[in-house]
Amino acid sequence: MTRPDQASPLALEMRDLVKDFAGVRALDHANLRVGRGTVHGLIGQNGAGKSTLIKLLAGIHAPDAGTIAVEGAVQSRLTPHRAEELGIHFIHQDRLLVPTFTVAESLFLGAEPRRFGLPWLNGGAMRRRAATILRETFGVDLPAGALVGELSAAQQQLVQISRALLNRPTILVFDEPTAALVRREVDSLFGVIGRLRAQGITIVYISHYLHEIGEICDAVTVMRNGADVGTVHPRTTPAADLVSMMVARDIHDMFPRRHRTAGPPVLSVTGLRAAGAFENVSLTVRRGEIVGMTGLVGSGAKDVLRCLFGLQRPDAGRIEIEGARIGGRSPSAAVAGGLALVPEDRRGHGVALSLSVRENTTIASLDRFARGPLIDRAAERSEVDRLIRDLAIKTPGREAAVRNLSGGNQQKVVLAKWLSRQSNLYLLDEPTVGVDVGAKVEIYRLIDELAGKGAGILVLSADLLELLGLCDRILVMYRGRIVHDGPAAATDSDTLLMHATGAGAVVHA
Amino acid sequence: MPDTVQSHIALPVDVAVPRSRAADTARTLVRAGSLLAFVAVFAAFAAAAPGFLSAGNLANVVGQSAVIGVLALGMTLVVVAGGNDVVRGGIDLSVANNLGLCAAVYATGLGAGWGDGAALAATALAGLLVGAVNAVSVVWLGILPLLATLAAMNVCAGLELVLTHNTVVAASSPLLDVLSGEYPAGVPVLGEVLLGVAALLAVVLHLTPAGLRLYAVGGHREAARAAGLPVASYVAASYLGSGLCAAVASVLSVALLSGSTTGSGDMLLAAVVTALLGVVFSRRLVATIPGTLLSALFIGILINGFQLLNISSYWVNGVQGVLILLVVAATSMLRPNAG
Repeated sequence: MTRPDQASPLALEMRDLVKDFAGVRALDHANLRVGRGTVHGLIGQNGAGKSTLIKLLAGIHAPDAGTIAVEGAVQSRLTPHRAEELGIHFIHQDRLLVPTFTVAESLFLGAEPRRFGLPWLNGGAMRRRAATILRETFGVDLPAGALVGELSAAQQQLVQISRALLNRPTILVFDEPTAALVRREVDSLFGVIGRLRAQGITIVYISHYLHEIGEICDAVTVMRNGADVGTVHPRTTPAADLVSMMVARDIHDMFPRRHRTAGPPVLSVTGLRAAGAFENVSLTVRRGEIVGMTGLVGSGAKDVLRCLFGLQRPDAGRIEIEGARIGGRSPSAAVAGGLALVPEDRRGHGVALSLSVRENTTIASLDRFARGPLIDRAAERSEVDRLIRDLAIKTPGREAAVRNLSGGNQQKVVLAKWLSRQSNLYLLDEPTVGVDVGAKVEIYRLIDELAGKGAGILVLSADLLELLGLCDRILVMYRGRIVHDGPAAATDSDTLLMHATGAGAVVHA
Repeated sequence: MPDTVQSHIALPVDVAVPRSRAADTARTLVRAGSLLAFVAVFAAFAAAAPGFLSAGNLANVVGQSAVIGVLALGMTLVVVAGGNDVVRGGIDLSVANNLGLCAAVYATGLGAGWGDGAALAATALAGLLVGAVNAVSVVWLGILPLLATLAAMNVCAGLELVLTHNTVVAASSPLLDVLSGEYPAGVPVLGEVLLGVAALLAVVLHLTPAGLRLYAVGGHREAARAAGLPVASYVAASYLGSGLCAAVASVLSVALLSGSTTGSGDMLLAAVVTALLGVVFSRRLVATIPGTLLSALFIGILINGFQLLNISSYWVNGVQGVLILLVVAATSMLRPNAG
């Protein structure tokens, strides 16, 4: 790996930054050195500390240790206001715009044009200047009077960028700017970034997309576990090297992979359609098979899962479980059909806080412990104890109220509840969101075990490495359609990402 | 298991969800519907209630709406700065009892032989103090506005009783004579005060940068903060404004009733419904000064029409409750969202 030229004067130098949130270390001696007038990439997995680093730069949080220097001057008390004075501006991932404002108002909020120098809004000037800026910078004609909440994500993004440009920034930070843009818009964004660099503006560019980094960045810093693990030249560094810098190598140890043979279909879906969400979705899950499904928010993947579980009515199509048609009528019909669903919002939907771990665990599967009209307490207890052990649920005991458990452990309880049902088909919605790594490994092992016993499993997850490690087959949805369906062994995260973001068609063309 | 193992290459969030045309249409329908309802009610009373359309009666409606109207205008400031999320957004439940307290201060002051100037100053101070207490609890102590102002409401009610011993404190002064009169003949001064306060607030809220920023603070706090606005100051100012409006309304109320009167707390529901109902008159479904004024007059017309038709005014309470439910349901479903 080559080191990029660091001889150019530094526009920004962040040194040895440490930041703890409630005892969790988000930044652990992180460094970032950005040459003036360069486009500097910043990559890393979720939780690697990119956002925290950027929030320190924005003055939203103060570092616990370390220094931030802008143009060589150390800034000991960086506030959002001070950052703005220094010419540091941000294009946030979550577009910080007031939904009830017009485009013009959003552009000029905080620096409104006034009449005669009085505290008097000049609405006409605001609208005219807004229209001019949007046309000249992006070549788009957004009605300056349109409400931000009614614009598309891409349009909101343009408003956000125009807003930053109004302030004549010296350092411009893009946080995942292309997440919501289509390819054409990405190209025009890159054009804008190129022009900004030509004007001498320093740009920090955060992205998940490695090919973007290679396309526009002069240098890229990779972060992992709250620290920077290296700064390299993106055009001469293969993407695979960047990935291995981002990911700790021993990742594959997390996934158990027993040899399994897929049996007959347990779930088959044909031509499922829900207006406005997805169409023509057909998929099969076989016994002993783990099928992964992924897609961006809005891709329809979540809606498919909701339809399968009967939380949402499909407009057309067939859902068959073990050859018997179910209508997607209601969750209880789905459960009766042999389905178990682990919802994503487990704390909201899945757990009764005042009940004990035991009660929460067996509440959906009491039939299994019935002996006549009574409950076989001994069997129930031993099952609960087994699950507590298997999932490594940290609890004072099986009778402890779930309220007293930590959030991650509450999630494990809900998972235990569904795992104890012993269904033939499991629908898992983000089964490991918010649980610690140790618990993830337990959960992966359990899922693998269920499949080993002949259950069919459909996992919805946004964590691509999780899907690649866990699943036999992976489906990717994009804008309401399945755009990829293939064995996990024959694909990688970049390919999945391309399909999920709709770039697949472009790249392969 | 060491925590150094990480397994995330997570997908970014695709926010390019096609926005719903249905919601746009529904928003338009709600606004058109509200205006239609306003016109329909107006027309119905005009047809059914003799004398409803007379200039004198309409002027009276404006005059009778003055107290609630000014209260609601103050509440509007709080709703604008706090955002109109019904639970966590801005709301000032103390306005009505603050009015009661201010009225007691004003009447007691006059009774103690103070001039109008001194009594007015004391009244304004009382209103602002209550606003300041609200501001401190909401902005600096971080208490939900709903709870913070509920507490202030009870404090006000208690202090009012201390001052008045739960009796009507009669009051008269040159200012009150002017306020309760008509100038020119046939036009209640109270109504003119309402329109004046509304005009002043409309200018501040809708024609100045400060007003725009107040909307930003309420519409998306993080966006306002990112724009470098002193968010806390704006929210605090909205509670002070609301307190001052309660003080102004209290003077109007004393003028109307010739003294401080117990039971001011009953005005709370009307003030809340007026401020929330105003939302449906705006394209953005946010609280506005003209919207609040319109809904104050709408409710004034309802009360007046019911009186003319000899329908019990108790019905008005029920209608107001239903309106709150409808408005809150409609706006929370239809408000445009960013991202």
